[in-house]
This record gives sequence, C-alpha cells and structure tokens, in this order.
Amino acid sequence: MNLLVIIIFVLTLMLVLSKRTVALINGFMLQSFCLFVLALTRAVWAKDSELYVVAALILLLKVGLIPYFLRWMVKKIKIDDNLGLSINPMLSLVIAVLLSFFSYLFAERIMGLQNKPDVAAFSVSLSVILIGIFIMVFRMKAVAQVIGLLVIENGSFLTAVALCGSIPFFVEIAIFFDIFVFAIILGIFIFRINKLFTHIDIDKLKTLRG
Amino acid sequence: MNLLNLNFSLIFDPLSQFFVFLILLVSIPCAVYSIGYLKHHYSSKKILLAWFLLVLFVGSMLMVVTVSNALLFLIFWEIMSLVSFFFVVFDTEDKKSIKAGILYIIMTHLGTAFIVFSFLLMFKYANSFDYYAIKQACLLMPAHTKNVVFLFLLIGFGTKAGIVPVHIWLPYAHPQAPSHISGIMSGVMIKTAVYGIIRFIIYILGADTLWWGNLILILASISCLIGIMYALIENDIKKLLAYSSVENMGIILFGVGASMVFISKGLPVLAVLALSAGLYHLINHGIFKSLLFLGAGSVYKATGLRNIEKLGGLIKPMPFTAVSFLIGSMAISALPPLNGFASEWLTLQVLFNGALNCSGAQAIAMCFYAAVLAITGGLAAACFVKAFGVTFLGLPRSEPARQAREVPPLMYYPMFFLSALIVIFGLFSAQIFKSLNRISQSLYGVNESTYNFSSGSFVITPVNTLSCAGLSIPFIAVMLIAIMVMVYLAVRIFAGPGKVTRDRTWSCGYYKIDSRNAYTGTAFSKPFRIAFSFFYRTSRKTEEIKSSYYHVKSIKYKTSITPVFKKYIYDLIYKRTFYAAKYLSKFQSGSIHFYIACIFMAIVFLILFMNRF
Repeated sequence: MNLLVIIIFVLTLMLVLSKRTVALINGFMLQSFCLFVLALTRAVWAKDSELYVVAALILLLKVGLIPYFLRWMVKKIKIDDNLGLSINPMLSLVIAVLLSFFSYLFAERIMGLQNKPDVAAFSVSLSVILIGIFIMVFRMKAVAQVIGLLVIENGSFLTAVALCGSIPFFVEIAIFFDIFVFAIILGIFIFRINKLFTHIDIDKLKTLRG
Repeated sequence: MNLLNLNFSLIFDPLSQFFVFLILLVSIPCAVYSIGYLKHHYSSKKILLAWFLLVLFVGSMLMVVTVSNALLFLIFWEIMSLVSFFFVVFDTEDKKSIKAGILYIIMTHLGTAFIVFSFLLMFKYANSFDYYAIKQACLLMPAHTKNVVFLFLLIGFGTKAGIVPVHIWLPYAHPQAPSHISGIMSGVMIKTAVYGIIRFIIYILGADTLWWGNLILILASISCLIGIMYALIENDIKKLLAYSSVENMGIILFGVGASMVFISKGLPVLAVLALSAGLYHLINHGIFKSLLFLGAGSVYKATGLRNIEKLGGLIKPMPFTAVSFLIGSMAISALPPLNGFASEWLTLQVLFNGALNCSGAQAIAMCFYAAVLAITGGLAAACFVKAFGVTFLGLPRSEPARQAREVPPLMYYPMFFLSALIVIFGLFSAQIFKSLNRISQSLYGVNESTYNFSSGSFVITPVNTLSCAGLSIPFIAVMLIAIMVMVYLAVRIFAGPGKVTRDRTWSCGYYKIDSRNAYTGTAFSKPFRIAFSFFYRTSRKTEEIKSSYYHVKSIKYKTSITPVFKKYIYDLIYKRTFYAAKYLSKFQSGSIHFYIACIFMAIVFLILFMNRF
C-alpha cells in the first residue's frame, strides 16, 4: 500500500523530469498502472465488487486506450519530440519537491501527526495534483496539457482511494467516461491546431485573441 | 431524492395516445419514402446512418409524448433536438446546412434552457418531477410564480413550435434536412411543442388566467400572418413550405389559446370545442405538410432543384407526384371537401362562438382573431396556387426540369397513402371530431354527453345553443361532384362535342412561345409585394444593358425584401454580443498557461494559508 504510494510519487517526479513527449506518456502509463494495482489491492482487501470494475476501467482506459491514442497521435502529426520546457528539468524538480513539501505541511495540518500512513498518502496525492497543474503550466506542447490534466485526475483518484476507500461508483464511472472523451476531444483539437499553425505549441494560440 | 431511481412509467392517457398515433401515422409513410429517396443520393454508409438516426428520432419523439416524468421528458426532448440537428447538417458538404444547423441548435437550446428553468421552478414546489405530483403542487403555487413558469414554458415550447418572433430557425433548418425528415420535422416534431404546451400549461399548470390564453392567441395571429406572408413571396419550395408551417402552427395555437381563454372564462363546452379544433388542425397539418414536403422532395430528386422559378411543367413527366401535391395544396388552402377545410372552419367557428359568448374587449379581440384567420386562409390559398402552378404547370424553365422523370413507386405510394388520408380525414370529419372531443374532455376532466358536437355521423354542429351552424363534408363533396357533372353535361349539351385544338400550354394559339413567356413565381407574388410593401420593405434594382439608345440587349431585374425580424431583432442582438465580447477580450491574455497558472497560484495560496481562514 505505502510502497505503491511511494512508487507513484517517484513516477510523478519522473514526469516532471521528462523532456520528451513519449517519455511523458510512458510515465503517465506507469503511474496509471500503479494506480490500477492500488485499486486492485484495495478491491481484494475490501471485497468490493464495484472497486474491481473501477480497477478494470483504469487498466482499460488509462493504461490501455488513452496512452495508445496519444502515442498514435504523436506519431501521426510528426512533431519533434521536444516538449518545449519553459523551466529546465532540474529547477522543475526542485519546484516539484517544494510543492510536495507544501502539500505535506498541509496534510499534516489537516490530519494531525497521529496517523502517519494516511498523512503520507494524502500528501502524495495532493502533490500529484499540484505537479499535474505544474506540467500544464510550464510545458509548451499541447500534449503536455492533456497529460497534465490526466495526472490531476489520477491524483484526485488517489486521494479518494487512499483516504476514503472509494468514490461513489456512479461518480467514478462518469469521471472515467469524461476523461476518455476529454482525451479524444483534445486529441482532435491538437490535430486542428497542428493543421492551422503547423505546430502544437499552445503558446501561439494567443494570436487567436480578437 | 435519488435521481438515479427515476420512475420510468409511461402514460397513455388519450392525449398521449393521440400524439403517438400522429407520430406513427406520419413517420411510417415518410420512412417508406426514404427508401427511394436516399437511394443513389447518398453512399450506403450514409443511408445506414440515416436509418439509425430516423429510428432514434421517431423513438425519442414517442418517448417525449409518453413519459410521465419531467426529467425524462427533458432527456428525450434533448435527444429529439440533437437528432434533428444531425439531420439538418446531413448534407455536410453544403455550407448552408452547417449555418442552418448552428442557428437551429442555438435556438433550440435557448428554448430548452427556458423549459429547464420552468421545470426547476415547478420542482421547487413539488419536490418531484412526476407529472401528477407537479400538478398537485401547482394548485398551491403563488400566482406570480405561475406567471413566470407560464412565460418560460411558452418561450421554450414556442421556440420549438416556431412561433413568431422565435421562428427564425425554422425556415432555414427544415428545408436543409433530407425531404422525408423535413416532412417529419414539420409534420410531427414541432407538434411535440404543442404537446408540451397542452401537457404542461393546460393540464399541469391549469390555464386559469385570462391573459395567458390571450397572449397565445395574439402570438398565434402574428405567426399566422407573418408565416404566410413570407411563404407567399418565397421561391424556394421547401422554404415556402417551412414558412407555411409557421402559419399553420399559428392556426393550431388559435385552438389551444382560445381553449385557455374559455377555461378561464368558465365556458368548458367551448374550451373542449376549441381544443378539439386545435388538435384536429394539428393532425391535419401533420398529414398534408408531410405530404407536401415529400412532394417537394420528389421534385428535388427528379430535377435537383428547389427553386420554383427554374421548374415548371412537371405535371406531364411526373403526374403522380403532381396529383398528390395538388391534393396537399388544396387541403392546406382549406378547400372543401378536404380535411384542412374542416379544421379551419371549426377554428373559425370557435372564434365566432367566443365572440358571441364573451363580452367587451374579449369579444372584439375574438373578432379580430377570426379576421386574421380569414385573411390567412386567403393568403394561404394564393401561396399554394403559386407553389403548385409555378412548379407543375406551364412550360419547363430549365434543362433539369425538361428532363425530369417520375420518381420510383416506393416514393409515390407513401404520397398516395397520405393523400388518401387527407380525403378520409375530410369526409369522416364528424366521427374523427367526436373522438378528438373525447381527448379534450379527458384532459379537462369532464365527461358529459352534452358535449357532443355532431349530430348523426356526418354532420358537425359546433355549439347548438347560440349559432346553428352545421357542417357536413360528405354532403359538400356530393354537391361538388353533382355540380361538376351538371356543368360538364351542360357544356356537352349546349356546345356540342366541338372540335378540339391541341396546343402548347398557355400559348393561346400563338405560334411561337417559350417558357420565358410563362408567369413566374416572382411575378405571381408581385401584387402581394406591393400590397404589403409596408411589411416587406421591398427594394428593387433594374439594370439595362443597351447596345444603342433604342435597342435594349438585356434587362436584369432584382428584387429583395428586408427580413424584418432578422434585421431589427436578431442582428441587433448579434452585434451587441460581439461588441461586448470584443470589449471583454481586453481582459483576456489568450495564453492557456496563464489561465492554468492562475488556478495553480490560487491552490498553492489556499494550501499555504489554510489555517489563516
């Protein structure tokens, strides 16, 4: 349990360090896989049939379909593999560590010192969310925005599973389909940007302003 | 309350049964027609898609009129709107389709937003979305809330029904869909809005306020007049039919609105009569409008044209289509002995009886509505003389019209079926009206034998106390046939067999004549353009190209009208919106990173300073 949370945290830091699009997608896939294992252990432990379904959906969507789709898209539009970092990896890592420190402080303040494992899980999930936003802000390519949002979603799922066992089943299902549709729509969106501007650097979207 | 545990039970009270009957009656011939229509016109994949959407469309309409839960109603209403949107943009290559589709989806969602709001208001009092619970709760609702709910429902359903001034999408969206869908949209889909008005305003809300009915009657008058005036000068045949739908929705709403007025005045007999007349015109319009759209579709299939100026003379190559179209035109122009006559006559009788039974301003208003209805009937007849005459009579005006061939049997059999329905609904109007009465009676919760508006099985007698008017359509039909036979015999007897000279159409014996001498649609509607110039705001442009002072080589004549509603209402809103957006865009940086960074900062700020708050 705790081991998985720590692996997820390390993978998230890896996401921050990655310079290439494919690396980012792979990192996301691994992170989602850990999340799947986490959900599965929870399901076995709690004998919760709904959680089994959720775990299966994670495996299908986040480990399978979405990374596959994104990889296919990256290949299709033949962009250069560079993510367009506006902050270099080392500085990013420092910031990410700072962010997780903040979230640790926050978690401790909320939950108190007595239950250490929960504090750790909560601070990790919070820092995953924050790092997701960080990726969205400081990476130029549109693919990074997609991954960033998916990482945020992973973080919120982690929060739910680590702290409360699970979210209501229907909410979970709805979020999954939302995420899936979101990835596809943004994929199409990226295609269109690429067609219009011949690159997917979303910083250039500023020119769309009237 | 658990939203996921919805009550899926359906209602099959007479009103719902009536609408289910109407939907199936119109949709099935249209579906059969589409077999022939879609063939060779689209790829097989697209035909499959069209069938899938058609099933979804008809299914959602059936669910809209049968569910007993406001939330489910909304869901199916939305499915219906979306599927019809996909039909509007079915010809994806056509830029006009996309534009019409966008306009349609914006307007229909605006309407749905109003409906949602009114449902939520009702939910606040009922704590349930079930019709029956809402009906109970509406008894306790304060009057001003009721007024708000009524207005929102009216705007919401009025948008779908195409009432002026929110009709703006209808003449663009209906013609762009494939023809069998235009038929279903005009014939049935916009009727679901009338179902909504009857179900939610009359049945659930209880129409007990006088001005509600009058507001609907005024809107109906405006819709009637404006719909038919635009239809009259329109040269695109499907657009003409779409505008005529606006007019006919007005006539239907005359019945519904008058019924609401009578209920609030405490005249249940007249209320039942008025609602039945409205429902009668509703089903009649469903039948003949879908027939006309199918006819227009056949013409389009045979020639690829929708502009009637380029058609003409189609009665010779396409006799079956022409006859069906003629029957439809006669019915929509309210000529006896067809069904349109019966329902428009009844609607007029309702208004006259209203004028007799009410007093003061209400009586004058009723007379005014009756006058509007009468002038609408006249203009509608002129409009369909134009639609039929310019399209099917005279000489063909273009190459495709000259090469037109009759459509395959799978396309004209559904039209025959609908034509037969028109005749049946005319001849058996007394029996049909009797069963419509039962629907309105059950809606108002009265069940008395005194509410019998027919004597015998062939005569309709609207109200036997005050006016002694009666109508027997079979009798009129017999008389018409007798007169025709007598005239024919008289001509044969007095003029003898005579010698017959066969010549080209409309040539009056003149030796050299071609299609350019024929009367065009624009020319036909010219007197109306002059008579109603205050409304049309016509602008003309004549351009002459001369080779010398005396010899004019060619003349270009261009005439256009000012679309009043578009120009003075919608363009204004559009302009203001864009102006506001431009002003607001000064506050936007346009950088996605910046926006996300703002969220980011906010979260970090909250985390850091959590304990301060």
